[in-house]
Amino acid sequence: MLLSTIIKSAFSGVLLLAVSCTKLDEDKLLYDQVTTKNFYRTDAELASAVGGAYAPIYSYSNFYFILSETTADEMVVPQRGSAWYDNGKWVRYSDHTYTRTSNNTDGEINDAWTWAFGGVAGCNKTLLALSNSNSPAALTYVSELKALRAIYYYWLLDLYGNVPIVTDFTNTQPPATKTRKEVYDFVEKELLDNINALPKTGPADGPNYGRVNYYTAMAALAKLYLNAGVFTGTPQWQKASDACNMIINSGLYSLTPTYLDNFKRNNTGSSEFIWAIPYDGTKAGGFSLHANTLHGLSAQTYTLVGGAWNGFSAVQEFYQSYIDPVQNPGIQGTVIGLDPKGTPTTGTLDNRLTNFLVGPQYAADGVTRLIDGAAEASDPDGQPLTFTPYINMIQPDCWAQAGARISKWQFYPGMNYNLDNDMAIFRYADILLMKAECTARLTGNWNEGTVLTTVNNIRVKHGGSGLVPLTSLTAASFLMERSREMAFESVKRQDMIRFGYFNASRRFNSADPSTHVNIFPIPEVQINANPNLTQNPGY
Amino acid sequence: MQKNGLHRLSRIARRHYKCLLLMKLTALVVLISCLQVSAEGFGQEVKLTLNMKEVTVGKVLKVIEQKTTYRFVYADNFFPAHLKVSVDVKEMAVSIILQQILQKTGFTFSRIDEDLIVITSLVKATQQFEIRGVVRASSGQALEGVTVGLQNSTIQTATNSRGEFNISVPEENGTLVFSYVGYVTRTMAILKDAEMKIVLEENIRDLNEVVVVGYGTKTRREVTSAITRVNADQFNKGNISNVAQLLQGKVAGLSVSRPGGDPNAEFTLRLRGLSTLGTNAQPLVVIDNQIGADLNTVDPNDIKTIDVLKDGSAAAIYGTRGSAGVIIITTKSGITGTPVIAYNVSGTMEKAGRFTSHMNANEYRQLKLGNDYGASTDWNKEISRNAFSHVHNLSLSGGVKGTSYNTSINYRNNEGVALNTGNQQFNGRLNLIQKALNDKLVLNINLNATRRKSQFGNSAAFKWATIYNPTAPVYSSDTRYNIAGGGFFENQGILDYFNPVAALVQNSNNGETKKFNFSGSAEYEIVSGLKFLVRYAQQTSSFNGYSYSPRTALSGGGFQKRGLANKRDDESFNQLYENTLTFRSKLNKLDIDVLAGYSYQDFLNQGFQVGAGDFLTDASSENINSALDFRNGLATTSSYKNASRLIGFFGRLNLNYNNLAFFQASLRREGSSMLGKNNQWGYFPAVSAGLDISQVIDIPTINNLKIRGSFGITGALPPSPYLSLERLTNQGGSYYAGNGVYLQTYATFVNPNPDLKWERKEEIDLGLDFALFDSRLSGSFDYYSRRTKDLIFNLTVPSPPNLNPTTWKNIGEIKNNGIELSLSYDFIKKKDLIWTSSVNYATYNITLSKLDESLKDSYVGASSLGSPGFSGLQVTRAIPGERIGTLWGIKYIGLKSDSTYLFDDGTGKPTDFSKAKEMVLGNGLPDFEFGWNNTLRYKNFDLNLFFRGSIGHQLINTYRAFYETPKLTGYNPVNTKFFNPALKDGKKFSSLEVENASFVKLDNATIGYNFPLASTTAGRAFKSIRIYFTGQNLFTITNYTGVDPEVRYTDVNDNGSINLLAPGVDRRETWVYTRAFTVGLNFLF
Repeated sequence: MLLSTIIKSAFSGVLLLAVSCTKLDEDKLLYDQVTTKNFYRTDAELASAVGGAYAPIYSYSNFYFILSETTADEMVVPQRGSAWYDNGKWVRYSDHTYTRTSNNTDGEINDAWTWAFGGVAGCNKTLLALSNSNSPAALTYVSELKALRAIYYYWLLDLYGNVPIVTDFTNTQPPATKTRKEVYDFVEKELLDNINALPKTGPADGPNYGRVNYYTAMAALAKLYLNAGVFTGTPQWQKASDACNMIINSGLYSLTPTYLDNFKRNNTGSSEFIWAIPYDGTKAGGFSLHANTLHGLSAQTYTLVGGAWNGFSAVQEFYQSYIDPVQNPGIQGTVIGLDPKGTPTTGTLDNRLTNFLVGPQYAADGVTRLIDGAAEASDPDGQPLTFTPYINMIQPDCWAQAGARISKWQFYPGMNYNLDNDMAIFRYADILLMKAECTARLTGNWNEGTVLTTVNNIRVKHGGSGLVPLTSLTAASFLMERSREMAFESVKRQDMIRFGYFNASRRFNSADPSTHVNIFPIPEVQINANPNLTQNPGY
Repeated sequence: MQKNGLHRLSRIARRHYKCLLLMKLTALVVLISCLQVSAEGFGQEVKLTLNMKEVTVGKVLKVIEQKTTYRFVYADNFFPAHLKVSVDVKEMAVSIILQQILQKTGFTFSRIDEDLIVITSLVKATQQFEIRGVVRASSGQALEGVTVGLQNSTIQTATNSRGEFNISVPEENGTLVFSYVGYVTRTMAILKDAEMKIVLEENIRDLNEVVVVGYGTKTRREVTSAITRVNADQFNKGNISNVAQLLQGKVAGLSVSRPGGDPNAEFTLRLRGLSTLGTNAQPLVVIDNQIGADLNTVDPNDIKTIDVLKDGSAAAIYGTRGSAGVIIITTKSGITGTPVIAYNVSGTMEKAGRFTSHMNANEYRQLKLGNDYGASTDWNKEISRNAFSHVHNLSLSGGVKGTSYNTSINYRNNEGVALNTGNQQFNGRLNLIQKALNDKLVLNINLNATRRKSQFGNSAAFKWATIYNPTAPVYSSDTRYNIAGGGFFENQGILDYFNPVAALVQNSNNGETKKFNFSGSAEYEIVSGLKFLVRYAQQTSSFNGYSYSPRTALSGGGFQKRGLANKRDDESFNQLYENTLTFRSKLNKLDIDVLAGYSYQDFLNQGFQVGAGDFLTDASSENINSALDFRNGLATTSSYKNASRLIGFFGRLNLNYNNLAFFQASLRREGSSMLGKNNQWGYFPAVSAGLDISQVIDIPTINNLKIRGSFGITGALPPSPYLSLERLTNQGGSYYAGNGVYLQTYATFVNPNPDLKWERKEEIDLGLDFALFDSRLSGSFDYYSRRTKDLIFNLTVPSPPNLNPTTWKNIGEIKNNGIELSLSYDFIKKKDLIWTSSVNYATYNITLSKLDESLKDSYVGASSLGSPGFSGLQVTRAIPGERIGTLWGIKYIGLKSDSTYLFDDGTGKPTDFSKAKEMVLGNGLPDFEFGWNNTLRYKNFDLNLFFRGSIGHQLINTYRAFYETPKLTGYNPVNTKFFNPALKDGKKFSSLEVENASFVKLDNATIGYNFPLASTTAGRAFKSIRIYFTGQNLFTITNYTGVDPEVRYTDVNDNGSINLLAPGVDRRETWVYTRAFTVGLNFLF
């Protein structure tokens, strides 16, 4: 049986062939994946890894912004029926009633932690990759990444105070909490150690725009020293002032001719930007304030691509601080009033009122009133869409049309889900005001000449010549003026804590029984993941 | 030693041939009236040399059977004990030998087929009426070797390979009895002048039934693990769009669920509950030996049997993929003989059974929750329709010597009850078997191709229909409301709120699925009993999706994007190469069956997606390149391609001692590329044993009683490849490199874990199979206890010190135990009336027994209620030490005097929301599930009633959680018995929205009629005609206020991934529950 012999041999053949194949090496089965084994080889790959360390910056407007603004007296997210209820987290932010366990649902408290430590880890892993690289280009990034890491730690210092510090990237033992003072010292040392290796470029210097340069690190140092009293118990007003001076005296920065220049759609390279996030609607997304603040019908005003969710609103009293002639003296004109209907009334005309979107809303033609068929029967101005600065309640049934909307970053027709506008993290006007504050603190005189001059310079240049320069200042009125300038720029929580106003009662919110809320709880999931972490006191 | 002859008796059937006859023919004297009472030679036949002295006739016949392919039909005590014969022949033809030994014994023989020889008595060979007929299985296959006897007489014959028989009987008014191994015995009155057509139903309880186990078959008698066989005649009937539906409620321990009536939705399958967090929470599917096949590549009409391997011992031969159990599907194959042509057709009318109850227009007006636009619209009615579906199946099977085939084509057109939804499927299958080299070589080829076109619609339309303003008209030309210019009434001011009719009518959301499977095998018998098999199989499945929202559609984004198109292409491909070596032998009373094998399987998945908007005209939508988004950098794309490989070596030993005691042991060593470098290979052993007590103890009421026990280890793989590697991703988009240039950024996102290993499930199963009271009551009972260790989990690790926030790790352990009971009882078993009732029942107790310490207080398995308003609110969680399926939240106590909520503060005392304590509110998994089937047959009528229920589970009614409040402006509130118009508080989620969802439903009711064809004209063209009517979901008994109380076994995370640990959430995207009525006709030519 020749045939059967052939078949038998053939069968034995395939059997042997088959049994010999036992290879399971996954590296040989890679298609759409990049692993560390096949990366960090070219300078372009190293540059992209540096970019990876910057990637979390684009989420700044989600986490640091929200935690800094909703806990302060500028921004509120009222519960409108079931919308924006989110298990009460927005009200807890306003009311400072977040607890150690609520962070499972108070998303931003944990999200900001993973965001900032994600930035730290991004720097760490890039530093590790650079240290393994033979490319000369690798060395040029080291100081920049260390300074960037220090800034991520500065935000952690600000939000949580006591956090672990890791600089050995190969040790995977869960690190223990460091005190706020230790974190402060680390940030200071890292910034000082690396600052001189950074380029002294200004805002117009294209190649370094959006990256940490000498002045970025200096601005971070200024912020660190400005809040040193809060962070460590020992104020460092002089050091803060000196750091501000380094920036001011560089001559690279100047106030923009108009306030809006800093916030318009094409604000890249604004002369006030010490460090800005170079957002782009298509290439570098992450900034979508318009979607969070605008009403669904606003899609027709701005021919929005994507929806709008009718959430973030300005605190009524904050809006009031612009139009009230006592708080903000200046030429009076027609502004939207504070009554429940948003009736036009007389108030101060401040150019910086562009921070708010109020009043009747129109379709893209600018003529057709938008009609909100879902308006509450109890809303006094009825169905035509009108953003009233008046907020009837923050829970549970805030009117859908209540609340001035946050339009500081100029809206434009055809807005994508992501805005094109860049967002300043450190802005020159802020540095000037910080310097003025330091002077006042150091002299103990809020009416010291340079303080008044600085404040009024900015006030008139940005608020308009119709504004009356302030003739005298107190800590309270200084902060008020600073806030009108710096509205919604993620500084208010820090400022209120520094000025001692954070725990006071506000409309809808009672006073905090304890100052432990001035830093957030360490997220429970992080403590569970790393038992060496210590919960912040009071939680 | 058995030989593989060409005749049609299966090996097992032959082994028990005499056993059968013993039962049926004891003490009968057999008469036969065959075509020829022949002493002539059989033509080309085998010659034998025999030398035996003074032995029984039976002994000689046995020897001849052993040496040739001939088989003899006679009763064991057929020959008188004193009858001894001698034979001494050399190289003589069998027919001559037979002639010699039967001489003067009063017996003769006749060959009724190729190698089937009937020994008959010469006594009383006076016949008057010759009756002829044909016997087939319900599938249409001709049955060979069926015993055909005249009732109350000794006259008997057997059918040939074409199922035909001829029998001479002394009188014309008798009744014939048809019996056959594995089939229900039937009686039928003699038809004198026509060909009798007899259809035998398979008897599932028969111990000699062959069930499919991994890489082989066994008789039911030999099975020592928990395996349930479902035959085609037991399948669910009616509007079946998915194979899983056939099994719903049929197998104790197998849960099959698809809430709502979406014809394009998949079913969730769970065997003995959740046993893994890995990729295969659904049982592994094997179709005609293709491992890891897709259930939907086979048309329900083509399936012969489905075997469900439930315990760890049965599944262990499938190694890393067996943890969730195995479903083995065997498709129909051809049988040598006259070709059988079958045509089945059915038409179904389906309608919505129950909508989410809400306010009608007048009630809404009174609540003053939104503008009154003057109309009265029933949105549910507007988006739904009576759907008509039809199914056609044409099959051809048959065979000639050495070749058999089965081929079929199927066409199904399913309409969904929502406008513009449904699918059309065309499927073809060919199964071909060719034998060669004296039947030593068996070639087997299976081909299957499917093309399905689907209209998916948008399930959110049901949500919008529930909440849309009922005073709004469907259409409007008023520019204030015709916002997008499509002629529909729209309102842009409310979140997640679109005209549901517009959403379904304007937008298209379609896809085409193409599947092609090929499998070929060659088996060669090297020496007697030793067979070597090589198999190659490949499966290709591709999906092309296309959706478009036109420039005038507000929902779907078409209006805002000036037309928005999305195209996607997915393909998955896998190829399987296997060798097996089997050896069967018998040592005295011990049957030995050994298997060894090697398996190699490669998987490749790839695809891409493109989304782009801004079209000048809707007409160019299919030309996605014309979208301006590409020019403006606004188009979205994604793509993927990944691969993995599995290699396994396996072996198995089966022992059967005299059909009394059974033992099986198996071992698989398997490696997967998806595991960490240090742990790629694992061992999966199993042992099981059984003892047939009824063979030992003779109690008349006990027909069968077998105890069995098994232990087996199976595995589960990670959900996707590459999880153990440190990978980089293009994270956070671009990075500004100055001067307007954005660079790509890359960063690692997951820590490597070279120790990542398979999940390991250990399972013990103790079972009892029994048949009592003349087999009227039969059933089986199983107790199982399983433990899955090393659960694979994407663990959040502290960062720092880890560079990345997550690591895929083996953490945690799931424990599960339960019982399964199947019972079947023949209440009535008469000639014209049969009533059989069967019930299956299964319990589970699945606990997350261990979890990594670091996850102790975390919301593992959490699912958020969702947007708007509840996006951060976790309503499910898996708590270490507790049952899986926990529904979590605050407990509602009542309302305060000011009509605001009061909740439990954790100690049972009422408090307000801010101090309420979260606690366990219920469980999404049932305590037990059952199916209850009743079959009644009266003459040619049959009636089947199938009830199914799940008891003890809760569901979160998300419709109520979001919309059942008088305080929601704009939305139409949900209106169940819980609606409280006085409520003053803002909507909060609590136990108030967690409802008991236990249910019992009449799942399927079928009434059928078989036309008695022999006496009709049609009978000449058709072998059989059957008509049936089926109703599905005729009624449901439940307290649940949502549309469908069906168990939700999984949930979907915000990112679209499946959340296995979050059962019990009834999402707003669930389709309505539907009721279907089917009429069908089956023709056999």
